[in-house]
Amino acid sequence: MDPVIETKGLTHVYIDADNNQVTALGGIEMQIEPGEFVAIIGANGSGKSTLARHFNALLLPTEGNVRVHGLDTLEEDNLWKIRQNTGMVFQNPDNQIVAAVVEEDVAFGPENIGVPAEELKQRVEDALRAVDMLEYREHAPHLLSGGQKQRVAIAGTLALGSDCIVLDEPTAMLDPKGRKEILNTMRKLNKEQHITVVYITHFMTEAMQADRVIVMSEGKIAFQGTPKEVFSRVDELETLGLEAPLAAKFAFELRKSGAKIPDGIITNEELADALSSR
Amino acid sequence: MLDITLGQYYPGNSFIHRLDPRTKILTTLLLIVAVFLANTAIGYGALCAMVLFIIAVSGLPFMLVLKSVKPLLFIIVLTLALHALMGQGEHVLWQWKFIKVTEEGLRLGVQMAMRLILLLMISSILTFTTSPIVLTDGIEALLRPFRVIGVPAHELAMMMTIALRFIPTLMEETDRIIKAQTARGADFDSGNLLVKAKNMLPILVPLFISAFRRADDLAIAMEARCYRGGEGRTRMHQLAYRAGDVMAFVFAFVMIGLLAFLRWGLL
Repeated sequence: MDPVIETKGLTHVYIDADNNQVTALGGIEMQIEPGEFVAIIGANGSGKSTLARHFNALLLPTEGNVRVHGLDTLEEDNLWKIRQNTGMVFQNPDNQIVAAVVEEDVAFGPENIGVPAEELKQRVEDALRAVDMLEYREHAPHLLSGGQKQRVAIAGTLALGSDCIVLDEPTAMLDPKGRKEILNTMRKLNKEQHITVVYITHFMTEAMQADRVIVMSEGKIAFQGTPKEVFSRVDELETLGLEAPLAAKFAFELRKSGAKIPDGIITNEELADALSSR
Repeated sequence: MLDITLGQYYPGNSFIHRLDPRTKILTTLLLIVAVFLANTAIGYGALCAMVLFIIAVSGLPFMLVLKSVKPLLFIIVLTLALHALMGQGEHVLWQWKFIKVTEEGLRLGVQMAMRLILLLMISSILTFTTSPIVLTDGIEALLRPFRVIGVPAHELAMMMTIALRFIPTLMEETDRIIKAQTARGADFDSGNLLVKAKNMLPILVPLFISAFRRADDLAIAMEARCYRGGEGRTRMHQLAYRAGDVMAFVFAFVMIGLLAFLRWGLL
């Protein structure tokens, strides 16, 4: 199958307020396969949000290209098709809800692409059920919790018919309960509806749940791999300003001081098993 | 402050509540015309009976509707007093030096006051029985035919929708900023009006900055969800006239006919 998202030599250069040329992305090569759950991590300013906006044609490459479902984002005719296929959820839950009633907001996307009323109602209902927000359909968004608002935003992309959802630090402004809600919702959608998920986050515990983790640094992909592979590289992560999960750090330090601990320990359970089997 | 209800919508499920918003806006306009046609005691009597009837059907508490007159009470009393005291006419009811109250003046004053009260009550029944969101839909639908002469119907409705969405959010934000500035020693309560207005600045500046940031975020989020203006857009909730709407229109036209008859006879 063709990749959902494919970038070739994706470079993004912009002029900042002081008239300097800033290279936000420098030659990104990556592929995201259908049904994958990919986490993108990186320090502030590593270019992860800029990258996300290229997946939805909100930004266009200065050089190279981005293909979404094989459609080049540089071609204007593809724009609406791409935005339908790749939904986006942003960081601030308040600033992406358009309508004053939950179901009206979920309907906003499909209304824009001209879905007829009957089908629209069905889509909105299905989308709200998928994120477990159906009972709130007639609520006012400002009375919902942060996690609930983000789930409404996710429903908005589902109603649009997206089979790939890009989330740009969706949990950064949420409390721990809301964070769990969003991650669980996305895992469920990934498993049950085979939605491709690109999950940008700075919470390592969230990235650990992904199929693949991409580490960004200064506009480039530093390294990538399964969570096990990525989070075992404790010292490399640290030089990039990222902190590995506690268990991985613990195992790393133990190994450094001569203890015989197997590689690839990233969760507390794995660490406990390794220690107790000695 | 946080769970403000916008506008003055009084939730319910009466016949009036369930009418199509377009019907309510148009019949309100028709009834306003009817009020202006009234010029006899019987006419005003009929209008009062009609308003009472509508209130009864809508299930609104009578006092609630009556309260809508309060903001303009001063103007109503002034109108009445001016007409009564300055009115010209032959039948002097009461005179003290150069001030005289004539029957004609008093009658005109009462008429004007009645007119204002009726107008306020009729239009507030519209806003009491229609939520702002539905009202926006109605306005958009009614303005749509005027797009050909350049009325931006969809854009106006979109602006109203976004305003309705963000007013509570910005109220929350204002609350937070006031608390933050108070914690830093800002004083919002003392001084005269000018000083007070100046003291609002530390609230307004952050509020505006944040509002612009929100607008920016929202624009991107809307674009990401395929927003490209009103062209080719469908709506989930489509407005539809039902039997009740026909009845409401018939009722409004009967009222106009009746008032026209009372004013001009059978021509």
